[in-house]
Amino acid sequence: MKNALAGMERALFWTLTIAAFAAAAVGLGARAVDRVAASYETAQQNYAIVRIAAPEGPEAMAAAESALTHSSHVASAAPMTAGRAAALLQQSVTAEDMPPLQLIEIELNPAERHVDVSGDLVAALAQGGVTAEIVQAPQGQGPGGTAARVRVAVLAGAIAFALIMALIISLVARGLAARRRELVTVLADCGATRGQAAGRVADEAAITGLYAGLLGGVLAGMIAFLALILAIPDATPETLSQMILPLDLVPIAAAPLGAAIAASFGARAAAGFFHEQAARLD
Amino acid sequence: MAQHTNPDRELFERGVLARLNGVDAGYGAETVLHHVDFEARAGEVALVSGPTAAGKTTLMHLLRLSLAPRAGRALLMGLDVRRARESARAKAKRRIGYVAENPVFVEHWSAFDNIALPLRMSGRKPTEYVDDVRELVNFVGLGEASADEPVETLSGAGRRRTAIARALAAKPDLILADDPTSGMSPSDGRRIVRLLAEMRRVGAGVIIASQDESLAECGPILRWRIDRGRVSPVDQDFEAEAAE
Repeated sequence: MKNALAGMERALFWTLTIAAFAAAAVGLGARAVDRVAASYETAQQNYAIVRIAAPEGPEAMAAAESALTHSSHVASAAPMTAGRAAALLQQSVTAEDMPPLQLIEIELNPAERHVDVSGDLVAALAQGGVTAEIVQAPQGQGPGGTAARVRVAVLAGAIAFALIMALIISLVARGLAARRRELVTVLADCGATRGQAAGRVADEAAITGLYAGLLGGVLAGMIAFLALILAIPDATPETLSQMILPLDLVPIAAAPLGAAIAASFGARAAAGFFHEQAARLD
Repeated sequence: MAQHTNPDRELFERGVLARLNGVDAGYGAETVLHHVDFEARAGEVALVSGPTAAGKTTLMHLLRLSLAPRAGRALLMGLDVRRARESARAKAKRRIGYVAENPVFVEHWSAFDNIALPLRMSGRKPTEYVDDVRELVNFVGLGEASADEPVETLSGAGRRRTAIARALAAKPDLILADDPTSGMSPSDGRRIVRLLAEMRRVGAGVIIASQDESLAECGPILRWRIDRGRVSPVDQDFEAEAAE
């Protein structure tokens, strides 16, 4: 490509790159928030604490644990130790000062929304001769929960931001097309149709957008990787590469494609307009 | 089975490249050409001369299918312009070579690449057209060294020769040259007109618009006069007799 990326073209290329970088970075951030919200949601839905009200003593705890482990809702059940309780209270009370606990931590299996898990567990315990209450029942289940709302909001925000960046890329590509105005005029003079002239300029803009998107996407990926290394204690590149799912890489992969499409679209519209001006004078 | 023939197409095949009957044309609210009757044929060279702002460039835009007629009937390359689709007009336009008064180029490309553009557009590969373009470069007197230079570095005459070579590259049926000698010395101007007139030998029709009526002396050239948007043929026999 002769005189490629000289002067103004170089500035336009970097504008495209920055827009693609911003879109990819926001996409990666949104994906990170989505994963945190999803794991929070899972933890909220699957965890509960059962307090044994009566009778007291180790026999009652054993009976309750046995009743719970036989319940279809429960994946695992274990009495809460004094050390665990102290940890949950964030060391405001030491394990030694803790009174005897009548608490059982349970991990729940996923259940349908309409199922009354708490009621079923209390009934199962009553059949085992234990009176109990569910202290921390699953909250925010299903798509109406806070975490789910956060996930939807983050996804919508990332898409909206990507669309704004696509609009910016498309406008920048119009600038690229303006740099090819003389070519469009010559093509119109030589009998090129609007589609031929605009297509030629759009192809060039698409390739520029592809490279800019590739660069922006890779930059965003590298910075995100670095941020995770710094943010997660004891994280290493090996552990991070195991944590990263293929879905997490979608914003990086989408950046070149999106930038190419948006640039092509903007350049095609502008070149078509220039062709119309050159080809029809009335 | 009866064959359907298109009379416009037949006229074109018989050598009528352009025929205007009572055509009006203009820009916006202004009508520049009034009731124009004009004809150009294959193998003929026509000179349309007239003063500044007489409508010469508008006539050229009309003939190169960049301006739609407002009234009358315009038949170009066998195509009724007012009724033709855009794709058909674009196809016809590719058979017209146009030398603009102020030619536009891709300035940072070489003259060679600019000349080759119509051939690239038609899908030909560089290996197929390189000899043809070199031949054209020599034909218009551009010189091979100048052909490899970016157009932005060429002189006015060099740019004009490049524009002519580009207009001839796709071997058009009709060649339009709008004031091709402007800014040139009289001898250079006549050389350019002779060059354009040579194209009639390969069967092309040539229409030259200029203020300089004396260009008609460069060869067997049909003369038309344009003034205030009205075009009329010049009775050359009468003028010759009057001169005697």
